[in-house]
Amino acid sequence: MLGDITIGQYYPGDSVLHKLDPRTKILAILVYMVSLFIVNNFYGLLGMMAISILVVAVSKVPVKYFFRGLKMIIFIVLLTVALQMFMTPGDVVWQWSFLKITKEGIKQAVFMGTRLVLLISITSILTLTTTPIALTDGIERLLKPFQRFGVPAHELAMMMSIALRFIPTLVEETDKIMKAQAARGASFDTGNLIEKVKALVPLLVPLFLSAFQRADELAIAMEARCYHGGTNRTRLKALQYTGKDLAAGILCICMVAAAIISRTVS
Amino acid sequence: MSLELKHVSHIYQEGSAKESYALRDICLNVNEGEFLGIAGHTGSGKSTLIQHFNGLLKPTSGEVIVDGVNINGKEAKKELKVLRMQVGIVFQYPEYQLFEETVERDIAFGPRNLNLSDIEIQHRVTEAMDMLKLSKKMRKKSPFELSGGQKRKIAIAGVLAMKPKYLILDEPTAGLDPKGREEFLELIADLHQQGLTVVMVSHSMDDIARYAQRMIVLEHGEIRLEGTPQAVFAQSELLDQIGLGVPTLTRLLIELQKQGWDVRTDLFHPTDVSQEILRALSKREQRKGADLC
Ligand SMILES: Nc1ncnc2c1ncn2[C@@H]1O[C@H](COP(=O)(O)OP(=O)(O)OP(=O)(O)O)[C@@H](O)[C@H]1O
Ligand SMILES: [Mg+2]
Repeated sequence: MLGDITIGQYYPGDSVLHKLDPRTKILAILVYMVSLFIVNNFYGLLGMMAISILVVAVSKVPVKYFFRGLKMIIFIVLLTVALQMFMTPGDVVWQWSFLKITKEGIKQAVFMGTRLVLLISITSILTLTTTPIALTDGIERLLKPFQRFGVPAHELAMMMSIALRFIPTLVEETDKIMKAQAARGASFDTGNLIEKVKALVPLLVPLFLSAFQRADELAIAMEARCYHGGTNRTRLKALQYTGKDLAAGILCICMVAAAIISRTVS
Repeated sequence: MSLELKHVSHIYQEGSAKESYALRDICLNVNEGEFLGIAGHTGSGKSTLIQHFNGLLKPTSGEVIVDGVNINGKEAKKELKVLRMQVGIVFQYPEYQLFEETVERDIAFGPRNLNLSDIEIQHRVTEAMDMLKLSKKMRKKSPFELSGGQKRKIAIAGVLAMKPKYLILDEPTAGLDPKGREEFLELIADLHQQGLTVVMVSHSMDDIARYAQRMIVLEHGEIRLEGTPQAVFAQSELLDQIGLGVPTLTRLLIELQKQGWDVRTDLFHPTDVSQEILRALSKREQRKGADLC
């Protein structure tokens, strides 16, 4: 029933993107996000879109699989678009009682909608091409300089990797419980809002119970293997920058530069 | 009236890297009143198969027909709830689906979803608890303070309270102690005696041998063997190959035969097997007596 949730899932492969250092990928995405908000005209936005499409193509993740992950966020995108469209003041082009659409609203909606989709596409490419372990290693290393200011780099990274690790498990568990309750006549998609919320009780109670139990077991298993936080921990695979990372870095700089130029030109 | 699978195939996560056939062209009939055993190795598709019987999973291709109605067809859409009432599925480790404050309320969850009257619901809860020999004291207890075996009984009572015509059990004895296991199987056999159609999934050839009238063996999502337990267990080599083997007592007879005893090897009930062994023993005694004379 829930087989479609692919948030944060790794897609095995051997593309250039798979081989990049996770730190490079994380930084590149930050740069992409910044560029996305620097860009303020349609041509720039089109350019960002082209980059995004190129990245998806290079990753060699099947398009079908990629879009399945995006399906989940359609609702959020539509909500944002609707809010922008109806809430932005300006030249009214269409009106029906208290609802009105403005020229500025349409522009804003298109911009925000596209930005949101691109943002999510590019971050999902990050998780699709990076194993959770590499990802958290990367984050940990990037956060290390901030440890001096009290940022618990290792702990944050560990929490994130555990969370990523358990998404599929929880999805599977939810699916199982949903099926079991559906077999007892429960329906999760009919009725009004109150009924729908009520219908979640038979799902959430068992789910929380098992999640807590799992957390408990995991803690015991970690302790049994002498886990005691990040101090003095070494890695099996130390992160190493290569020529590919340098190339990626240069491309990123070009991207920001292009974004800034497109803004000043318009 | 029967459950019918016609050329059912199922692919999980179609279009992704993990795409794989969990079921391939399954044709199967479950007749009313019978006790069907489904055996198969871990990952052979047993759980996938049974979830098709009440529309929890839709076949990638093929049809599922319950009492003459194609349950994935258009006309069945509204009646899916009614169909699910007909086909009660008890999942692997069903105790994890309990959620209510009291045992009584948890068992009543199914009947309540059928919009029955309060009196009828109470009646059904009592009936289901009686069927599973659960004491009255338990009604007001929280399901979470019970033992694993008791929880499982409550979960099954919850399905029985919906009065299904077909009862489908996925590994009902997994993780139970020998006594609990025995009790459980007897109970299921009882329910079958009372007219319920039972489909039981199990790794244990012993369990299937003792209770099933007919069985199928799945391997990699396909039906490899089908027939009475007697006929299926006669193919001990094939079963060994699949990695399932034959019931312990049949294995004993096969070993005896290898050592030169003249015994049948198509038996598996304890009484039949002991009689067969005694018969072989007395035959040998007789022959010894004859040799001496
Ligand atoms: N939700 C799912 N998503 C993807 N693949 C699945 C899913 N559920 C099962 N599978 C795959 O389908 C195949 C059949 O699984 P199934 O659960 O039906 O096996 P089973 O015979 O019930 O095994 P077991 O005896 O362990 O319960 C397995 O290869 C499994 O990996
Ligand atoms: Mg199973």
